[in-house]
Amino acid sequence: MRSSIGLIALAAVTIATAAGGQAFDEAKYPDWSGQWRRPADVGNQWDSSKPARRGQQAPLTPEYQAIYDANLKDQAEGGQGTDPTYTCIPDGMPRAMNVIFPMEIVIQPNITHIMIEYLSMLRRIYTDGRDWPENAEPSFMGYSVGRWIDEDGDGRYDALVVETRNLKGPRAFDASGIPLHADNETVVKERIYLDRADPNVLHDEVTTIDHALTRPWTVTKNYHRERSPIWLEAICAEGNQHVRIGAESYMLSADGHLMPAKKGQAPPDLRYFNQSRK
Amino acid sequence: MLRRSLVRSIALAATLLMIAAGAQALDETRYPDWSGQWLRTGGIQWDPTRPLGRGQQAPLTPEYQVIFEASLADQAAGGAGNDARYACFPIGMPRLMSAIFPMEFVFSQKVTYILFENNMPRRIYTDGRSWPHDPEPTFAGYSIGKWIDADGDGRYDLLEVETRYMKGPRTFEGSGLPLHKDDQTVVQERIRLDRSDPEILHDEITTVDHALTRPWTVTKTFRRERNPSWLENDCSEDNHHVAIGKENYFISADGHLMPTKRDQTPPDLRYFRQSRK
Repeated sequence: MRSSIGLIALAAVTIATAAGGQAFDEAKYPDWSGQWRRPADVGNQWDSSKPARRGQQAPLTPEYQAIYDANLKDQAEGGQGTDPTYTCIPDGMPRAMNVIFPMEIVIQPNITHIMIEYLSMLRRIYTDGRDWPENAEPSFMGYSVGRWIDEDGDGRYDALVVETRNLKGPRAFDASGIPLHADNETVVKERIYLDRADPNVLHDEVTTIDHALTRPWTVTKNYHRERSPIWLEAICAEGNQHVRIGAESYMLSADGHLMPAKKGQAPPDLRYFNQSRK
Repeated sequence: MLRRSLVRSIALAATLLMIAAGAQALDETRYPDWSGQWLRTGGIQWDPTRPLGRGQQAPLTPEYQVIFEASLADQAAGGAGNDARYACFPIGMPRLMSAIFPMEFVFSQKVTYILFENNMPRRIYTDGRSWPHDPEPTFAGYSIGKWIDADGDGRYDLLEVETRYMKGPRTFEGSGLPLHKDDQTVVQERIRLDRSDPEILHDEITTVDHALTRPWTVTKTFRRERNPSWLENDCSEDNHHVAIGKENYFISADGHLMPTKRDQTPPDLRYFRQSRK
């Protein structure tokens, strides 16, 4: 009888090795498949639990509060303020996790990809235990190192803890232009996990450490799952009516002409056209 | 009797373990190793074996040859011709597979993803689905693939893909080699590792399009970098091209609008005149 049990155990080990030896054991990872969307009743502000703009009560330093106030004034006049994305550059981190357009999370043993349906906003979160790279090229999405955690000890990971560094700018927290520091030394820490009661809700607790802030700023983003998704392309350049010329932003009219974005805005300097017509 | 029950027990254990270990898992041993970063070999032209532009000898219909010639003339004068990439539009299929910047393959059970540094990912559905009814067209199109074990060794070695439902404007390459504006392009691909060098990947691409007199097949070749550094290549960052109406202008180094063509007229500033009244 003892030999029977031993034989069965041996068979089990052999089969497990054959089936899963080099295979990615999805049973160890949470099911985050499908399409994740921000809730329909949530806007695009950074802290979803608070109103947009000044209502965010961002813990800005006095210097950056002044920059933010100047930005709000510029936006009220029709400008873009400190929101750089009107020219179709990526949101970057942490703003990308606003998930204005849907995202997909693809989990592999050494890397988790987060793909956002906008521009080419792709995050690679390395979970292979690597250190921070030396002299890596900064990027809008930054360099992310993550670690899977089995918080409830059931043998299956349930949280992904991520740290992101090596970012470049310009970046803002949201479209109201809440600024991040120009030194780009931002560090973003995240804890991503499924809701305990509803597996179709994902949470991302995001803490931003930045020299524009007086303290780490933590917000929690929530996403809802669509299990039968349709993926589209959100192409910023397609139909973008904003035009930047030098330091000025203008608009394109419906009939294809340049028009001012602000009252009394001067037209662009056409000096090179004058020269070419001489 | 004991032996029969033992055999049944082993079979049951095996079944249960296969379900537990393999049912939801992607069995990587069945798929080829396409990990790492894939870099193009050769230039940015569509057929890598031929020169860019007219040298491609694209099998264009007479109507689209005229459109191509007009594009070449416009580009020679400083314009962008048919190539909409200057305004940071996605390059779409099949041009995406020129892989101007590096790409990565990610396999899941139902989808093979191709990730790019400067474009949104391609999703190639390998779950046996049919074509969707009336999907929203995209630049990258809708791709259905099938893994094939061509040499019968129990491991897939070939991914066959068909892509439909694209939207435009799209061209084959920067010279403005056009695809038909009806956007009924069908792209068929056969992607596999080189038989003698696993660090080389081939994509045999056949484009069926009403701008062409016949299906046009080219083979793209990529080489692997196993320790990649990934960058971002965002077209809009420091893009000096500006489209105003149907005209393409340029932003000078000192931040002023300038013509891209000799004697190009400046933009119409009628709305500034109205706002200053």
